[in-house]
Amino acid sequence: MAAPAPTAPVPPSFPPVATFPPAQPPVEAVRVRNRALFRNFFLREVNTRYLGSMTGLAWALLHPLALLGVYWFVFTMVFRAGGFGGSSFLTFVAVALWPWLAAQEALQRGTVSLASYAALIRKVAFPHELVVYASVAATFALHFAGYVAVLVVLALFGQPVHFEGLLVALPVWVLLAIAGTGLALFFAALQVFIRDVEHVLMPLLMILMYLTPIVYPLTAVPEAVRPYVAANPFGYLVGRLRAALLDGQLSLDAGDAVALVVAIALFVGGRWVFRRLSPTFEDFL
Amino acid sequence: MGPLLALENVGKDYARVDARGGRVRLVWDLLRGRSAASVFTAFDGVSLRLERGQSLAIIGENGAGKSTLLKVIAGVIKPTRGTLVVNGRVGALLELGSGFHPDYSGLANIELAAALLGLTPAEIADRREQIVAFADIGEHIREPIKHYSSGMVVRLGFAVATALTPDILITDEVLAVGDESFQKKSIAWMEKYLAGGGTLLFVSHSMYHVQKLCRHALWLERGRMRLYGDADHVAREYVAWHEARAEAAANTAKAAPPASAYVVTGLALTIDGGGSEIDPGHGFRVDVEVRSPDDREPVLAVGVVRADGTPVYGTTSEIDRAAPVRLGPMRYAFSIRFDDLSLLPGHYRLRAHAMDPEGMRLFDTHEAPFVIAGTTRELGYVRLPHAWPHAETTPKTTAAEPRAAAPER
Repeated sequence: MAAPAPTAPVPPSFPPVATFPPAQPPVEAVRVRNRALFRNFFLREVNTRYLGSMTGLAWALLHPLALLGVYWFVFTMVFRAGGFGGSSFLTFVAVALWPWLAAQEALQRGTVSLASYAALIRKVAFPHELVVYASVAATFALHFAGYVAVLVVLALFGQPVHFEGLLVALPVWVLLAIAGTGLALFFAALQVFIRDVEHVLMPLLMILMYLTPIVYPLTAVPEAVRPYVAANPFGYLVGRLRAALLDGQLSLDAGDAVALVVAIALFVGGRWVFRRLSPTFEDFL
Repeated sequence: MGPLLALENVGKDYARVDARGGRVRLVWDLLRGRSAASVFTAFDGVSLRLERGQSLAIIGENGAGKSTLLKVIAGVIKPTRGTLVVNGRVGALLELGSGFHPDYSGLANIELAAALLGLTPAEIADRREQIVAFADIGEHIREPIKHYSSGMVVRLGFAVATALTPDILITDEVLAVGDESFQKKSIAWMEKYLAGGGTLLFVSHSMYHVQKLCRHALWLERGRMRLYGDADHVAREYVAWHEARAEAAANTAKAAPPASAYVVTGLALTIDGGGSEIDPGHGFRVDVEVRSPDDREPVLAVGVVRADGTPVYGTTSEIDRAAPVRLGPMRYAFSIRFDDLSLLPGHYRLRAHAMDPEGMRLFDTHEAPFVIAGTTRELGYVRLPHAWPHAETTPKTTAAEPRAAAPER
């Protein structure tokens, strides 16, 4: 990104220097343009996804709320599960459910996001990754808003929510978004060539959700398999969220550094794959 | 200042993928930084330069790689080989959609297009009015593009591409679309743009527009540069090549019928009572011999045309259920009589076509000229039987020549 601005954009003689894309327009102009494009795509995502539908923004909240209701019914009324560490089942699950749904939806929407921009990609030159960024960012932004709203409601009903825990929860969401963006870039690029990706992704994400301690506490898992469940990186982030928001733990540890490195590695790796494949998108979309 | 645009030995390959496994392989190859195993070369070895104010036309047949070349210049796709330098703002109007998002409204697409070109919000606001006015599609501007007619999409696309005053305007057969009044408007805009020093890069099949709008032309043939230079010269060579090719194609079709074809091997026209001209009211007999490669009974089509080729009448042995006589292996003879001809005097030709036994495919054509004797002031090709019932006296024959009045009863 921080390449030096070209000093002599116009080659003095023909044939010119062997560079593609051309040195012009200058880096700064490109950055301004890309920012404007991202804003355009992002607002479009938010608009068409929620504001365009009849119930508007409420959908972003209704879907997780409905899921929460179902889990509450199944786990507390039918299975009578316990061990939620002082807080109610609803609070315990809500803290983890929203980030999971944000990540899941971001992956699913990000993976297929290029298809709806096919007309543009075939005929206009722009960085294709902006489409995926906008899709993922819109999903995370909307679900984070819903998350805060739900926490406020839970606190109003007397649940022990530690709002200072947001100091940790927000960075955790950011880490999740970075990792999710990387994975979405990876799957989106593959999806252009191999249409099965989106169909494989859905059941995979559902399985992963139940393997993650979202609707159950890690302590409820049998000792023998507990290390495997605990090794799930998303499970680690869920644990951090619960510790921060439900117990008020604000300290950082070495695990957080590892999580940061993993998230950045996923992003860089996903972007590398995306950039390798994106010049060929035009022919396959 | 250097050229607006310079290409040096630019080429573009497309990956060829057949089976599903091929796609996985392609992804793997791309990730390793290799080129695809099997490629199709859209064009190669293209070198050109475009100076400010010197418009360039790209001509060639369909599939010659013109549109792909435009896409490379517009930056939509990267070239596989060669170097490409663009020194200026490129406005591309590629095909119909012009890079619109089908779900966005017209207004939203204007915003998007402006953002794609890197305009600031203030600049966008300035030009929005101008674009809407030029496109002139009324309230549709608030509806999603996917509900537009192709004409409306082109209007909006042209309005957007032009309002942003590009240094190079790339258009791909855009002038061919849109209604009459919009075409007039766009041509007027184009002339103003060119007079103001604008540079046009366009693909067209209309040599008239190529010569009118462009200084230079590039002729692409199967992805290679066939000719590059002065627009008049290139256009003339291109047209000449087309004509020569059309003629050659017509000749080869005539010259060598394949061995499997049904062929007319003999055609004889015998006039009643001998002589070289046919008197009105008389007739002639036609004998045709046809070779049938598979020894099945062929069908013969026979027709009469005027000297200039205008058809007068035709029939086939299949319509009339007239079987030929088998003369020997693969040899069939047809005989047909035309009596009491009502053709007006003049020059005619008899045509005989050999057809397959199903009467579906027409293989071979032979002709024999003949003349109907006499003169007349009547019009047309054929005398239809007629009368004037309210005429007081028997009308004198209108024909100046007594001989021409024969077929009255």
